Amino acid sequence: MLVFAASDKGGTGRSVTSANLAYQRALLGDDVAYVDFDFGSPTAAAVFDVPGALRGIKENGLHSYLVGEVGEPVRVDIWSRTEHPVLRDRPGGSGRLVLLPGDVSGGEFATDQETLRRCVDLMLDLTSEFDVVIVDLSAGRSYAMDMVLEATARPELSGVEARWLVFHRWTRQHVIAASGLVFKEHGILDGGAARGHDKEALRGAIRFVRAAVPDLDSPLWSQVSPAQSVWMERCDEYLRQLASDRGIGDSVVLGTVPLEPILQWREQLITEVDVLSTQIAGKETLEALEELARRLFDDARWGRS
Amino acid sequence: MDAPVDTTRPVIACGEVRTWLLPSFRPLAAQEAARLLLLRADERVLVSERPNLYALSPDTLTGVDCRLPTSNGARVRVVGTVAARASLTEGRVVQATAYFRAPATGPAARQPWGHYLVRPGVLEPLGKLPEQAVAQGVLAGGRPGELDLGLIADGLLTRLRQHPLLHKNTRVPFKSRRTSLRWVALPAPDGQGPSIERFTLAEDDLRTVRLRVPRDTEPSAVAGLCEDFALHDWLLTTVVRMIDGKLVPVEGQAALKALRPAVEHLLHLWMPRARVDRTLAPLWDVLEQESGFTRQWRTLSQRIRDQLALLQTIGSLPEAPLHRDGAAESRLGTAS
Amino acid sequence: MTGAVFRETTAEPRTESVGLAHLSLELGHLYMEDFEGGPDRLRDHFRRVRPWVDAVRADATALAGGKRPRISTCFLIDDYFTRFSSPAELVPLLLDEADRAGLVIDYLARESACAVADGVPLAESVAGRLVESPPPGSHGLRPPVGRTGWLANGERTPAQRAREAMKSTAGWQPPRETAARRHSVFMDVELWDDKEGRRTWSCPFLAAVWQLARLGLLRHHGEPVLTASPRAQGDFPRDWDDLPPLLRLGDSAVPFSAYRTCSVLPSRFLPVEHAVRIVLDQVDVDSRALEQAARRSAQEGMPVPGSVADRVSYVFYTVP
Repeated sequence: MLVFAASDKGGTGRSVTSANLAYQRALLGDDVAYVDFDFGSPTAAAVFDVPGALRGIKENGLHSYLVGEVGEPVRVDIWSRTEHPVLRDRPGGSGRLVLLPGDVSGGEFATDQETLRRCVDLMLDLTSEFDVVIVDLSAGRSYAMDMVLEATARPELSGVEARWLVFHRWTRQHVIAASGLVFKEHGILDGGAARGHDKEALRGAIRFVRAAVPDLDSPLWSQVSPAQSVWMERCDEYLRQLASDRGIGDSVVLGTVPLEPILQWREQLITEVDVLSTQIAGKETLEALEELARRLFDDARWGRS
Repeated sequence: MDAPVDTTRPVIACGEVRTWLLPSFRPLAAQEAARLLLLRADERVLVSERPNLYALSPDTLTGVDCRLPTSNGARVRVVGTVAARASLTEGRVVQATAYFRAPATGPAARQPWGHYLVRPGVLEPLGKLPEQAVAQGVLAGGRPGELDLGLIADGLLTRLRQHPLLHKNTRVPFKSRRTSLRWVALPAPDGQGPSIERFTLAEDDLRTVRLRVPRDTEPSAVAGLCEDFALHDWLLTTVVRMIDGKLVPVEGQAALKALRPAVEHLLHLWMPRARVDRTLAPLWDVLEQESGFTRQWRTLSQRIRDQLALLQTIGSLPEAPLHRDGAAESRLGTAS
Repeated sequence: MTGAVFRETTAEPRTESVGLAHLSLELGHLYMEDFEGGPDRLRDHFRRVRPWVDAVRADATALAGGKRPRISTCFLIDDYFTRFSSPAELVPLLLDEADRAGLVIDYLARESACAVADGVPLAESVAGRLVESPPPGSHGLRPPVGRTGWLANGERTPAQRAREAMKSTAGWQPPRETAARRHSVFMDVELWDDKEGRRTWSCPFLAAVWQLARLGLLRHHGEPVLTASPRAQGDFPRDWDDLPPLLRLGDSAVPFSAYRTCSVLPSRFLPVEHAVRIVLDQVDVDSRALEQAARRSAQEGMPVPGSVADRVSYVFYTVP
């Protein structure tokens, strides 16, 4: 299965959350590939803590592959190459976790037919080898998004299931932007339809992930004043109404990731050690990520049961 | 015996085989296989049904003008064509080989293209070709910009995958990885038969083979032998990965789900030497003695069959919890 | 063990030989615009062609060591890009005008036969045999011509736009002819286009197929293609599709295909024929067909050049 991670704005935690999803699916036993199509700012190497493995890769990443400079993009086996002390001990029963990094110096690029061709090949290759292929797209309506919309509309990929996750923060502007990314003119649905997708089928394959959402019941907020608490609840209510009006209400939400400093600041995978030993990450955050990873494959959540 | 050395005689042949599960839910029948491999409209695809279903495309050519990889950094520019061909075994496993042969010396400057077109599958050096350094270089893999046979083989696989026969039918019945086998063949000393100098399981999905073959051996025969090696190595690799951790303990439906594809799609494909050139076939015996391919395969097959039999006998028992959820729970349990 | 079944079908592929004349002489190419010019246009064409035909014959005689050379003449009518008139109307007119100039047309071919003849996809077969001449540095990564539909005689100018937003463009770079002598004459040939799921072969590509057919170098599964049919009794048919792809008009015993070809054409065909040469230079011709032509021409003491493109010659005349 292909999973595309998209967002309209930066700062949604899209990359770090989708990397955590990849990690969680691998822990569940899936073979997972994480494809870094965030061409503006490839960050996955930092999230998976594989800087050493990437030092040699200046030219053989996804950019070089897509523009035809190399025949195969570099792959980094996370379990064996990571410098993260917890990740290095690959848990029994876990699946493969492989990163396909962008080039160190790569930026956005325009897509032509040959690039598209290579993108289709890459998707076919990866889906025949991995259970889940998570593709992290640049924020906004990017060339990368156009390319994967076009690629997934091709007959060669029509037999491959694709799901879309649109990440947004829980603010007024982010809700409006996320809705726009999907529903407005030139958005994912329009862009997809223009490239041959069935609009309704595509709509059915899109779910939203609310990121950096303050959990009002969490101990973090237990000390706020009653007035603050009421205000926050009202804001939350307002945002729910807004989201619903904009077509991204609860029924199309796959999950919610709490506001979590470790995700915001360290941009790394959250492991059990972070929660249980060093306790620098919230238990709720890890649970939310685990839940998200399960729901990714829960057909009932995708209108498929 | 004392004839002058013919410098146009090949002194090395090199190739790379990519082996891959056909991206199709069901295997292709003989006629479909022939359509898939019709790389040239005017040349027949060879289809053979004994002892198993096998189809082989005509050779296609790719022009190259680049440096060859060398182990000692020597700069060897070659010009000519690399031959590539694809095969499909039992409508299920697809292989692409890119290969060439090269003489010890060639003209000092590049010739008109027609000169190379009439020498299909031959790369001529501009000047001299140090075959030992090239042999080692090819097996080790080149630097960017040097001849990459794997790229050409991959290009052929890509072309096959775009065939309309495979549209809408691309969901594979099980996961597998593409493997590569690089080979070089140097001439055997006069009067001696073929030999395997080395068979290496290099990286994860890369194998390398170094051969000595009698001088008059056709490169296509060597390619055929190496495709046979690669096919069986791929089968072993794929089945080992498929059942990795899934044989014990018995996990009901999960184990069944993991093992079924092996039985349905792979176990019957084991048939070493089915089409290997007679003069090269003895090399299989060497490989069997050294690495016990067939021994390992038999053991694996038997374990899978035993396991399935066991699953059937306890099939009436209530279903055990799925392996994956169980793993996730126990993980949390031990950590706390 | 190698099975007998496999060996039978594969080990000894057979390539039938075809009869070969010394020279295949093309007396013209007829397009709709020529037809629309009326009988005068044809008359003028043949009158202009006649002296060149005599010169070509003299040259062929010299090549044959003074013996009478085997020359067959042919004429090509476009029924592929545009359909006009009918064989019943056009062919007698054509033969009359040739006769008036003292010329005999031995073989008449339809251009669509270069695409598909008697159910055999000739153009597709030749396209499948294109092997691009690699510019220096090619190590196997170029998109094959089969995907682009374009064939060049060198290296194209890199795309102008920046491939990546963060990288600066290097400015314009010239294309380069691979076999250039210091300066390049670069040409990029469109071989076909695909519109609405239908492939239309380009005029130069069909002309290259036409040359290969005249050189006796095309086979399908080892068998000859575009074999000449004798003229049927009675009038010519009313529909081009009812005319054989290659028609033997007279009772000439000289074969259609030959060691070499010569075409006498108006000079406007020059760019097309340059493109033909670029195609011919990059076709991996059936090696056994090549070998047959080489062996027999050598036996007759007039060996063919190794390069297929060098077996093709032209006379271009100007139209006033």
